[in-house]
Amino acid sequence: MEKKTLAVPFHEFENFTEGLTPGMAAMFKQSVADTIHDRSLIYEQKRDALAGMAAAALPYPPMSDEAAELLESGILCILGEGPAHFYPRYAAPDYARLLQNGSAFLELKPAGDLMEATASLLTAYKYFPCEALPVFIGRLDELLEPYIDSLPEDLARKVLRSFWLLVDRLNPSGFVHADLGPAESKAGRMLLEVDRELQTITNLTLRYDPQVTPRQFALQAVGNALEVTKPYFLNHPAMLKDWGEDYVIASCYNAMRLRGGIYTLVRLNLKRAAEYSGDDPERFLDETLPRIGKYWAEIIESRSRYIIEDARWFEDNFWVDEGYLQQDKFSAYAGVFALAEAANHFSQANGKAEARYGWDAGANALAARITDRVHEILEANPIPACAGTGGRACFHAQVGITSDLDTTPAVRVPSGQEPELYQHILTEAPTHRWIMGGVSTILEFDQTAAANPAAVLDIIDGAHHAGIRNLSIGSATSEFVRVTGYLVRRADLEAHQAEKALRHSSAALGAGVMENNPNHLHRITRKV
Amino acid sequence: METTFGMINHVLPRSFVDGPGNRAVVFVQGCNFHCLYCHNPFTINFCSDCGICVQACPQGALRMENGRVTWDRNRCVECDTCIKTCPSFSSPRVSRYTPQALWAELAPLQAFISGVSISGGEVSLQLPFITAFFEQVKWHSRLTTLIETNGYAGPQAYLPLLPVLDMAMVDLKAGDDQTHERLTGKPLAPVLETIQFLHAQGKLYAVQQVIAPGFTEDKDSMLQTAQLLAGIDPGIRLRLLRFRPHGTSGAAAEWPSPSDESMENLMDVARACGLTQVERSL
Repeated sequence: MEKKTLAVPFHEFENFTEGLTPGMAAMFKQSVADTIHDRSLIYEQKRDALAGMAAAALPYPPMSDEAAELLESGILCILGEGPAHFYPRYAAPDYARLLQNGSAFLELKPAGDLMEATASLLTAYKYFPCEALPVFIGRLDELLEPYIDSLPEDLARKVLRSFWLLVDRLNPSGFVHADLGPAESKAGRMLLEVDRELQTITNLTLRYDPQVTPRQFALQAVGNALEVTKPYFLNHPAMLKDWGEDYVIASCYNAMRLRGGIYTLVRLNLKRAAEYSGDDPERFLDETLPRIGKYWAEIIESRSRYIIEDARWFEDNFWVDEGYLQQDKFSAYAGVFALAEAANHFSQANGKAEARYGWDAGANALAARITDRVHEILEANPIPACAGTGGRACFHAQVGITSDLDTTPAVRVPSGQEPELYQHILTEAPTHRWIMGGVSTILEFDQTAAANPAAVLDIIDGAHHAGIRNLSIGSATSEFVRVTGYLVRRADLEAHQAEKALRHSSAALGAGVMENNPNHLHRITRKV
Repeated sequence: METTFGMINHVLPRSFVDGPGNRAVVFVQGCNFHCLYCHNPFTINFCSDCGICVQACPQGALRMENGRVTWDRNRCVECDTCIKTCPSFSSPRVSRYTPQALWAELAPLQAFISGVSISGGEVSLQLPFITAFFEQVKWHSRLTTLIETNGYAGPQAYLPLLPVLDMAMVDLKAGDDQTHERLTGKPLAPVLETIQFLHAQGKLYAVQQVIAPGFTEDKDSMLQTAQLLAGIDPGIRLRLLRFRPHGTSGAAAEWPSPSDESMENLMDVARACGLTQVERSL
């Protein structure tokens, strides 16, 4: 069989059909040696990188030649999962069950007070069943509220503070994610206080519903966001409509079912697909996207089945045996990015280069039609493994990584080119309509916002009303920078650029994005 | 029924500093004060349709039509040549609005704002129009209404507006009559009456004062201001606005901006007089 290579392989020695071949052994060894000798990585990071290389020595799960061609051309791509990912990319365990029942495998009793509850959670995070990181650490306010009065208030705050510090120090990554809200609670208020004080990079989402979330709690969260660029403001009513109650937000801003997870994330590069399609947007919508959709589903199904049937991930897994995860709640992501470039491509191809996404009604309407059509083709291509979302892939807007040059994350207007605030919101809102698997719009405010958080909340309410699913709120002067979807600290970026070893592996990814898109650091500040 | 028209300089779709929450701000044309430090002096005088700016406009955005200067906002690049050329330092970029037309322009912003603020210029010169406009706002929306006024019109003038007015911010340019006249050319007494009246009506959102060197940037001046307000109600919100030379004309363009330290000291003076809500601008 003809040897196939990937357009942008995660490892140079990856091979499509055979896995590591004798001819590639030297390159493999070199990669191992380079990782061992890399002075910017600490031991844990080297260990994880080496494990990834070992797994990358296997071939891809079987797929048709047409699907392989789409991967080779880079129209579809697999984001750093390696050829044969043997565990789900994300999982969302039901920690409430663990706190209530205890765990036989972890030898934990039911939690009796706040100290036992936080100790049990930290133990569970250590054994998180995918990646080296607990990308979902629970709806923490709901989880801890039953125990919050087990200690005097000042002691409870101390325990929460130490818990929140350990979450970051033991799991140092901007992809570690906790959910709060929509209701207010003592635990929720305290967690916001502690997060603002400690300024760690652990990610947070407030599931916000103006009918349920008290205004004072929402304003506290706005104050935090202007200072530490979190929590996200998630449009909870919109998410409820698609998911019902049992959904969570993990990693960057990724939605999935509680007790479920996501097997794989296969990305569609809309820019490349548009260029490949030619000059006619109707052909792109009616022929190119439906054709891609078929093989997109095939790759997702094949990779998911590999995890279920070959790696047998759900068998002999205490997370499943003890009821924290359930196979029928899992799904997989079909992610899109570079919507802006796709819309702009057709403007340019038709002699209207100035009709850019964000600025031109025609380009904006085409962008919304593209997301509508992607939704339709995902609906038209059943994937039995995706039981958690009705046997269809879950539509996700993907924020990209270092190696994504010349493409804008997800469905956003390119950073630094956003139109004025309302127009920015109204441009992106229609593209959020079908993307139930995670999407966000980034809004950054100037210094006048800190003195008037109610004004920011007005804009959040307006944006949600317009159809925005999720908002990242920040301030231009914050130490925290929202890189695509996760957070990095400016200090860590600078240290990475100086090649110092860091606890936060996400800073390395962030630095690449910054170098390629310097506007992330120097966003044009809007006057509000 | 007679239709009222408003002369509007411009509309700002969002502001975080003109009252509670995010607000759209309407700037009216025309003012009865001539403050030395006026930050938008082109809103003071009305256009006399002399046509001098029509020749000067480099974009061809101004035309003479039936004896009136008309402005094409699509051609305009806001280079301000018209304002610089105008013998009365006015602006031809002023639009006549009916209350309905102004509401139609703001209605699409409803979901994003807490309310509408009217600033200027001086709002009390166009109160019949503003009353009719706020009636539109209240009829069509849940938005709150706020005026920013110099208070010089005196209590009677604001009476018809009260049923559709939620909040007022009144400028107290100085706490003593002499400084007030020196700064604005007008006496202080009617302003104080307006502040007392609007407070008694439950409509006073804040009193604002620009802190300008040589006029209000000193302890004695702040003592007078704060004592006046504390005598009415120590709960009155006092906002101190730092003078900025940007936008000013004449001698004020050379004045320095008060330092952070100076602003903080004046806030302490105000608080020492018993005022419980003292704020300042950035």
